[in-house]
This record gives sequence, C-alpha cells and structure tokens, in this order.
Amino acid sequence: MPMAFGIALAVSGLLLGLGIIGFAIRAVSDGFGAHGPWGYYAAIFSFIFMVTGAAPLAASIFRVTKSHWRRPLTRVSEMFSLIGIFNILLFIPLMFVLPAFRNPNLTPLAENELDLRRTIWFEVPIGANAPQWLDLLGIACLALCALVILWLSAVPDMAQARLRATGFRRSFYGVLAGHWHGTKSQWLNQKAGLALLGAFYFMLLVFMQFTISSDYAQSLIPGWKDSIFPVIYTLTGFQSSLGLMLVILFVLRRWGGYKGYIGISLFWSASKILLGLTLLWVYHMFAFGITYWYGRLEVEQNILKYLLFQSYGWLFLANLIFSFFLPFLTLLWNPVRRSDWGPALAGVFVLIGAFLFSWRIFVGAFNAGDVYNIGLEHVPAFVGPDLWDVLIVLGGLGGAVFIYLLGSRLIPMMCVWEIKEGAMYQHMGTFMRGRYLVLAKPE
Amino acid sequence: MAKRPILGLFEDANYAAEAGDALQEADVSQDDYDFLTDAPYPEGAFGEREERHHLYWFPFVGALVGLTAGILMTSMTQLAYPLVQGGKPILSLPPMAVITYESTMLSAIIFTILGIIFESRLPRPKMGLYDTRITEGYIGVLVNVEEDQLPKVSALLTQAGAVDVVLENPEPAAA
Repeated sequence: MPMAFGIALAVSGLLLGLGIIGFAIRAVSDGFGAHGPWGYYAAIFSFIFMVTGAAPLAASIFRVTKSHWRRPLTRVSEMFSLIGIFNILLFIPLMFVLPAFRNPNLTPLAENELDLRRTIWFEVPIGANAPQWLDLLGIACLALCALVILWLSAVPDMAQARLRATGFRRSFYGVLAGHWHGTKSQWLNQKAGLALLGAFYFMLLVFMQFTISSDYAQSLIPGWKDSIFPVIYTLTGFQSSLGLMLVILFVLRRWGGYKGYIGISLFWSASKILLGLTLLWVYHMFAFGITYWYGRLEVEQNILKYLLFQSYGWLFLANLIFSFFLPFLTLLWNPVRRSDWGPALAGVFVLIGAFLFSWRIFVGAFNAGDVYNIGLEHVPAFVGPDLWDVLIVLGGLGGAVFIYLLGSRLIPMMCVWEIKEGAMYQHMGTFMRGRYLVLAKPE
Repeated sequence: MAKRPILGLFEDANYAAEAGDALQEADVSQDDYDFLTDAPYPEGAFGEREERHHLYWFPFVGALVGLTAGILMTSMTQLAYPLVQGGKPILSLPPMAVITYESTMLSAIIFTILGIIFESRLPRPKMGLYDTRITEGYIGVLVNVEEDQLPKVSALLTQAGAVDVVLENPEPAAA
C-alpha cells in the first residue's frame, strides 16, 4: 500500500471516528425530539448525498450517449455507489428528528397556524412518519441500484482477476464474478442491464433529490413554496459530482500512476459539461431570486432576507463565488480549460460551493422556527456550528472518503474491459499531412 | 451420447471468426458454439448469429406491478380515511402520483436486477470450460459437440489458427 494512500485512509478513518463521537454527544445532549440542533448533521448528509448520489449517473449517461472519452471516468464514477450504504446510515437518524406532521399545539381559531405542516405527501392525516420511511426506502433502493450498476460493470474485471488474485481477493472476486466467461449473451445482457439500470437510477435519483430537498429543507421554512429549488438542488448535485470526479481523476493521473489511461481529452470534454452546469446553476439561482424578489409578499421577502441577503447572506455570497464566479472564470479561459489541472481546480471550487449551499439551506431550514406557522413572520438569526457540529461535519466527510478509499483497494479504479473496448475502436491515422485519432463507431 | 466442450484459443480475432465460418461449414449448430472475449466486440464481428435478449420484459413487468401496487395502496388509504382536505377530491391524483412513482421505480429496479442475474446465468454452480488467456486478449471459441466429434473439431480449430485447443480446465493454482 503506498504511503500517501495509507495516510489518507488513516486520516479519513480518524475523522470518521471523531464524527461518531460528535454524533453520540449530540444525540445524548439534545436527543432526537427537536430538529434545530441537527441542522449541521442534515447539511452534511445533504452534501454527501447530493454529491455521491449523482456521481454514479455520470458513468451511465456517458455510456448511453456513447461518449468515448468517458472510459477512464466510468469506474471512478461508479465507485461512489459504495457510499450509498453510508448515505442510508446517515439518513436513518434524520427520520426521527423532524417535527410531527400534525400540529401538537394548535390553538383554536389561531390565524397563523396550520393543522398539518406543509408536505409533498398525502393531504390526509399522516401517522408514524410514513413519508420518512418512504424516503428511506427510496435512498436504499437508489443505493441498491447503484451497487448493482457497479457490480455489473466490474464483473468482467473481477472475472479477469479471480484466477490470479490471492487470499481474500481471490474469494471476493470469485463470488462476485460468478461464472462470467465473456460470452456474447453475457456481454449483451450486461450492456442492456447497465442501460436499463442507468435510466432507472436517473429517474429515481431526481425523485429522491426532489423529496429530500422538499422534506428536509423547503417544508421546514414556513411559507417557502418554490418549484425551482429542487431543480437547483439536483443541478448542484450534478455539478459538484462532476467536479469531484475531475479532482479524483487529476489525482490519479498526476500521482496515481494512471497517466497512460487518463488522457487529457477527458478533462477537455468534461470541463465543457461542467461549464454548462455552472451556467445552468446560476440561471436557476437567478430565477429563484427574481421570482421571490418580484413577489414582494412579506413571507417572500423574509425568505430572501433569511437565505440570501441577511442571516445567511455572507454564506450565499461565498456560495455564489464558489459555485459560479470562480469555476466560470476558470473554465472560460481556454489554456486553463485545456489543461488537466484547470478543470480539477474548477472541481474544487464547485465542491466548496456545494458544501456552502448545503450549509446555507439545510442549517437555515432546520433553524427557521415554528414549522406550523403559515409563513416566515420574521427573519431568524444565523446559527453557527458548535464543536460537536464541526466533528459531525468532519466525520461525514471522513466517512465518505474512507469508504471510497477502501473500495479502491478491492475494485480496480479503471474499467479495464471498457478501456480495451475503446482501444479496439481507435488508432492514430494520417490525413493529408497531419496525424489524427481515428475513431470507429460500430453502432 | 453427452456433449462435451472444447475450447480453441486464438490470438487474432480474424482467425476466431474464420473458425466460426469453418464450424458453420462443418454443420455445427450455431447454438453449440460461442465466442468468449475479454471485451465486448461489436455485434456480428465474428459472423455469429444475432443474439437477442429478453431483459426488457423484466422492468416492464416490474413497473406494472409497482404501478398497480402504488395505485392500490394510495387509493385504498384515501378511501379508508375519506377526509376532504382543502376542497380536493378524496382520490386526488397529484399526491397519489408521488408514492405511485416511487413504487413503480422500486419494483422496476428490483425486477431488472433479478432479470440481469437470471438472463446472464451468473450464479452458476459449476465452472464451465475456460482459459485465463482469454483475459489477456485471446479469443476463445467454445464448442459443445458429441464426444466422437471432438478430434474433428479440434483439427478444425487448429486449422483455423488456434494457438491451443483445451479440453479440460487446468488445475487451479494454489492460493
């Protein structure tokens, strides 16, 4: 095991341990009765779910669109499926901290109080936190779908390794590779299976991002009714997951010994998509802001002041800088975009931006006051983190990194069969006086 | 007489395709031979028959099951608690759609996973004839023939350019 890898594994494991301590102290000191103290926990869950949930989609989408440059990226993307299990574990405590749907202290004839707090679920009385269970079921199925995509994609590679590996890996590959021989029928079913599961993953992912952003953010801020916010949440997920993959690919290329596999064309192609997502992000943020700004109702003004201009104003400004201005200016500059470090740098920016986004929205939502109120009557104050919140946030990040690193010890970081397939379809050829890559497209 | 497998290994994919032609000319049924590769070759690259899969049925059936379950669950719940909320009808489609969509997706995904496992025949109890050189880029032509035809097929594969013809799996190396 390389020393840097060992250090990274140890540090992330240590952070995970600190996070568990922070979580335990938060649970003992505050319990699960009120949702306010769990704001930072929700924020880190949101960030990890948003980034890692969207990541496996990249492999599926670029495979379906037959983008040949994707080949070194697919396994890096699919490996995020492993963090799906961590997402399930992180989500479980959140099921119990949300306030009851029925208002327990409804005053007769109260004009500003709702009988039921706002929710996207049934309009009939809701008992036993059924929507939270449906959320959990959705997150679990999303993780299952992603893991099967990873398994299906890794089967040919594990089959290659099963007869040469030793010890635990030999048994592990032997069990997971089944009896893959690479027959025409197996390749055909694998291709169809990856396409189908990729499509279902996309359909379920956007649905879950919609429900999580609605149940754990929007519905907790009285009077916040916005159809654009779930789209912004999904877009931030797509943008930050692509950014994270570019960072990982840069590290693998520069220091991981994969320079021969990860060509510069991947960075060029992916950076254009990242630029497009960055522009889409700012467009949706503007659309959200301008709609509320024109609304001018007291509740709309208070929500804008709370999330954008006053309480979390500085965080919004930082969010805007990292999610839009810095990546936009980086990717706009051709010499930087055409390097391997430029898109990776933009990836770091959008990741920071996504973290600030989750912080602003979820900590804000969990501390917006009375969820049964008909609207936000005043502008709540900014809530900063305490020591346990810091540990929880670090632990969440450390846990995700720890699982990814552990997974990379078992599953090859390059999708070997896809790279071999790609090599069959391309060679350098001459046209007039120049040499160019000739690419075959069999379908 | 029981059929036995025989595996020809080819360094060059063109020779493997020629072996396929030779097998066809020798009246070996297309169902009795297959090409084993370490990467997916384009359809028809070896001149083999067109393979069809039935995987699409699994998510289709799964989605129907999930859709039906979702509609039944939401409508029966709303009928069991017939409370009018905000002047909306008892059976309101928008709130039903949320749960029905999720149940449809869940069921379709689970059926697809089952379909992939079933159609790929992955958890097989016994390892068939295989050679690790296939993972190094060799093309395997696996033929299932009557035992008395083995010498003829072996010669045919060799004539086509097989670098080796294998009849039994090698003993596994000690771990």
